Amino acid sequence: MVGRVSTAAAPAALSLIPSQEETLLREAVSGICRQFGREYMQQKRDSGGPPSELWEALASRGYMGVNIPEEYDGGGLGMAALSAVGEEIAAAGCALLLIVVSPAIVGSILVRHGTPEQKERWLRGIGAGTTKVAFAITEADAGTNSHNLATSLRRDDGRFLLNGQKTFISGVEDADAVCVVARTRTSDGGLGLPSLAIVDVDAPGFTRQQIPMAVRGADKQWTLFFDDVELEEERLVGGENGGLGVVFDGLNPERIMGASISTGIGRLALERGAAYARERRVWGQPIGAHQGVAHPLAEAKIELELARLMTQKAAALYDAGAPGAGEAANMAKYAAAEAGIHCVDRAIQAHGGNGFALEYGLSDLWWGVRVARTAPVSREMVLNYVAEHSLGLPKSY
Amino acid sequence: MKICVLVKEVPDAAVEKRIDPSTGRLDRSGERNLNPYDTHAIEAAMQIREGGSDVEEIVAVTMGPESAVRALHKAVSLGADRSVHLSDDSLAGSDVAATGYALAKTLQRESPDLVLLGQQSDDGECYTIGAVVADHLQMPSLTQVIKLDVEDGAKLRCERQAEYGYDTVSVEMPAVISVGDAINEPRYPSLKAIMGAKKKPLDAVAAGDVGIESDHVGEAGSQVQCGDFKPPPEKAGGEIIEDEDTDETVEKIVAWLDERKLL
Repeated sequence: MVGRVSTAAAPAALSLIPSQEETLLREAVSGICRQFGREYMQQKRDSGGPPSELWEALASRGYMGVNIPEEYDGGGLGMAALSAVGEEIAAAGCALLLIVVSPAIVGSILVRHGTPEQKERWLRGIGAGTTKVAFAITEADAGTNSHNLATSLRRDDGRFLLNGQKTFISGVEDADAVCVVARTRTSDGGLGLPSLAIVDVDAPGFTRQQIPMAVRGADKQWTLFFDDVELEEERLVGGENGGLGVVFDGLNPERIMGASISTGIGRLALERGAAYARERRVWGQPIGAHQGVAHPLAEAKIELELARLMTQKAAALYDAGAPGAGEAANMAKYAAAEAGIHCVDRAIQAHGGNGFALEYGLSDLWWGVRVARTAPVSREMVLNYVAEHSLGLPKSY
Repeated sequence: MKICVLVKEVPDAAVEKRIDPSTGRLDRSGERNLNPYDTHAIEAAMQIREGGSDVEEIVAVTMGPESAVRALHKAVSLGADRSVHLSDDSLAGSDVAATGYALAKTLQRESPDLVLLGQQSDDGECYTIGAVVADHLQMPSLTQVIKLDVEDGAKLRCERQAEYGYDTVSVEMPAVISVGDAINEPRYPSLKAIMGAKKKPLDAVAAGDVGIESDHVGEAGSQVQCGDFKPPPEKAGGEIIEDEDTDETVEKIVAWLDERKLL
């Protein structure tokens, strides 16, 4: 799966046998994360600090920019490799949301649409893992309807003024900047097509408020407020009115990463569930000997492996620039979220009361995996997409 | 200084070990990996280099079938500069003495100042290959070393773990040192090191290339006769003493220990 990505569109190839490089990459990422582990993540969550040491340990060895071209200090291995990195991080109990937004979304957009200056300024750091850029699209009043975004960019004396609000934005506390989706004001006062603007986190007029969440992860969620934030034109990626096409070059990688994190959490839960079912003895035999316990776990394992396969397919199609990447990314996200949820749910069930005891580390995983059914795109919107684009059914909204 | 690190491809730790009844040898099918103890030997070599000693080259050396190349790739991703792969059909079935002889012949060609290896392999767990290699090379040998310092560029000051405590031993180089896993924490390779591993030189050699005499290796050259393996007897279930009344529980435990003459 992990192989050098050509910048030109290449035939999509999905190797079902992991290369030695992929095996070593997974082993290294997993080993590094396990040195930190659940306790570290809990400590970070409780203290409110970002998991910077873990990020640094991975970034310094080149793992946080594996998808970025080598000429910009990345690994040149595409989304296939970043997906493997994300899955291993999650499977080690250390899921990081910034890997979804910085290298996957913003990095992918900059690779395809950044100017040479923007690539130099932002992509090089993302490739090396030394620069982190969050991504802000969701708005309270627009929801899933990206066409209804109200955050605006207004030309003013040779620069732009950014105004509006974003919500459920991940990892801003540990980011250097945020890539904001906004619409430029037209001369008649209306709003044009979406544009992307990179805003420094300490820019005057940019404030944020944390959203308390049930998810027990180290990354935080934020509502962002932009009040006449001044931006030079060079901060616009893909140009003024670049459109949703530019945005979607980042959203498909986001779905692939969302899927990878779900399968990583699913692997972790199933590993714990199966281990418990092998060891826990009631009535003189392991509870895993009972089909009522074994079959739900086996079913979840099948769903998990199918979802992993679709995730790998989506990454291969995206890396090759091949048609069908969007469809596969949506399907992967759907399948992985459902599989991950089932893995955690069934592992909890196999644990009985212990499934809810914090020391067993399963209840910690619940909201983190459950959110994948809702974000970054809801289960229902994926079904709408598949119904319309894969099956040719009428648009329902 | 030239350091050679002996490495071995072994069944992955997650694979249950079993004897193949048809061959009487360890079943090495399934997932394989670099012997984890050898990663400590590579790390020890890296730390000698990084500690300021003039290490000209770190060479990973293995004997094994074609698939053992993967162990060498991992070894160079962890820091070795190049690798040597001894592979020959005539070597199949070699016991520890024959393997040690074959490795020694391969090492002779390299003329190392120091040979490092993990104290045991994760499969055979013989703990002896270092001593056999050292005997053939006529070098001093230390086993179970958990601290290693180079002194004056020509001597090693080692701490070895013994049942009764620690020995501190000085040896002249060249020497063969097998290291324990307490010696260091092996590093994780960078992405660059992983992707560059296959570009580092790998020297594939056959038995004849390094002067191995065919009657000293393989089944014919091995003294160990394998066979008639049986699974270990099942352990009887333990006795659980429930603590309902602590005085009574203590009495029961003391009686149990007394019965076995442990008090």
